[in-house]
Amino acid sequence: MFLCHIANVTPLRFELRPGEPIFDQLVFAAKRAIVGGDFEPGRPFPSVRSLAADLKIHPNTVHKVIQHLIQEKLLEPRPGIGTVVAEPPAARAREQKRLLQKEAEQLVIEARRVGLALPDVLREIETQWVRIEKQWEVIRK
Amino acid sequence: MIHARNLAKSFRRRRALGGLSFSVPEGSAYALIGPNGAGKSTTIRILMNILEADSGSAEILGVDSRRISPRQLAQIGYVSEYQFFPPGLTVADYLAYLRPFYPTWDRDLETSLVRDLHLPLDRFISELSHGMRMKAALAFALPFRPRLLILDEPLSGLDALVRDEFLARLLEQAGEMTILVSSHELTEIEGLATHVGFIDEGRLLFEESMSDLAARFREVHVTLDREASPPGSAPAEWLNLRTMGNVVMFVDSRFSEDRLRSGIAALPGGVRSVDARPMSLRSIFTALAISTRDAAERRI
Repeated sequence: MFLCHIANVTPLRFELRPGEPIFDQLVFAAKRAIVGGDFEPGRPFPSVRSLAADLKIHPNTVHKVIQHLIQEKLLEPRPGIGTVVAEPPAARAREQKRLLQKEAEQLVIEARRVGLALPDVLREIETQWVRIEKQWEVIRK
Repeated sequence: MIHARNLAKSFRRRRALGGLSFSVPEGSAYALIGPNGAGKSTTIRILMNILEADSGSAEILGVDSRRISPRQLAQIGYVSEYQFFPPGLTVADYLAYLRPFYPTWDRDLETSLVRDLHLPLDRFISELSHGMRMKAALAFALPFRPRLLILDEPLSGLDALVRDEFLARLLEQAGEMTILVSSHELTEIEGLATHVGFIDEGRLLFEESMSDLAARFREVHVTLDREASPPGSAPAEWLNLRTMGNVVMFVDSRFSEDRLRSGIAALPGGVRSVDARPMSLRSIFTALAISTRDAAERRI
């Protein structure tokens, strides 16, 4: 984390993809990084300034993304620090389910398009699940 | 920060601007987008009082652009691919030449710019490559912390590495100033911009904040339970309506869930699924360009 700041490189994997608004892409990248364990709960999230320079996005836009993540309770504002990554909440189920529905639909459409069967998809989901779970275990230790 | 009203300018018989109006809000990064020859550079030169408009007027930092004084110029940074630099000066010479003109010049900032942009201080500006010269132009324009930064096609012809260095340094200061940037390339400017104005043939097609644009445009695919046929009438905000197989496709330019739902309910046939996706600046621009062209062809 500290090394990241010195090198001015945030661990947000973010490649601009044509066809989607930057705001949505950035929100998604941040969520993926937080849920995937790239940022530990309670630790500072990169500042607007460093994200803007690193991702080549205007600070006003980055600021809006961070406000959005605060609203969604993925980040918490901390005076003097900026924002920190929120503890993963127990109850955000309805919202999570809603988010997931869209992702799942997308996954099914893509899978069918390339001719995958349901067991293939389920197996891939399981692999990813286990991989991410392991990352979380490392963090908790 | 900038207000242009009905700017018109012709060169001999070619009309460059035909009544251009636009406004750049304070603190924004306003991207003036349009094809080559749309009038972007002419506009910027009028704002900087390098050219005079035939008619119309522009206000910049609260002053008529024809009466810009050194006091305003000391608060405006200007970076252009056609920028003139005095011959026979090295990068270091030119920095030394500029400093006394700007009361707010920050030497530490200058040093960090030179370092981050990897500028060779002892090289003659005239001998720099295009990319290096654009980076130098940025390093000349930022150390006095301008209130307004005007960039004319700053990224055209830059390779990926130079472009990233340029943008990173620019964005580090973007929060403390207003930016007007012209570009014919949409994608490269999308991250930088908070507002966008589309200009074509010397007129503004529209201007809007990026977040409003993203909120109001959706690419919609409606899958019906039968072969889709073009509906007799559709809401005016549905652009580029077309059908393929069971699918009706269009661009909703005034998206709200309720409006879309009632619009779709009026389509002939049962609806199996609806997919409404946010669009990038490029796809919005393409959709608008196609719909403007189609409307023009219908008039002929």
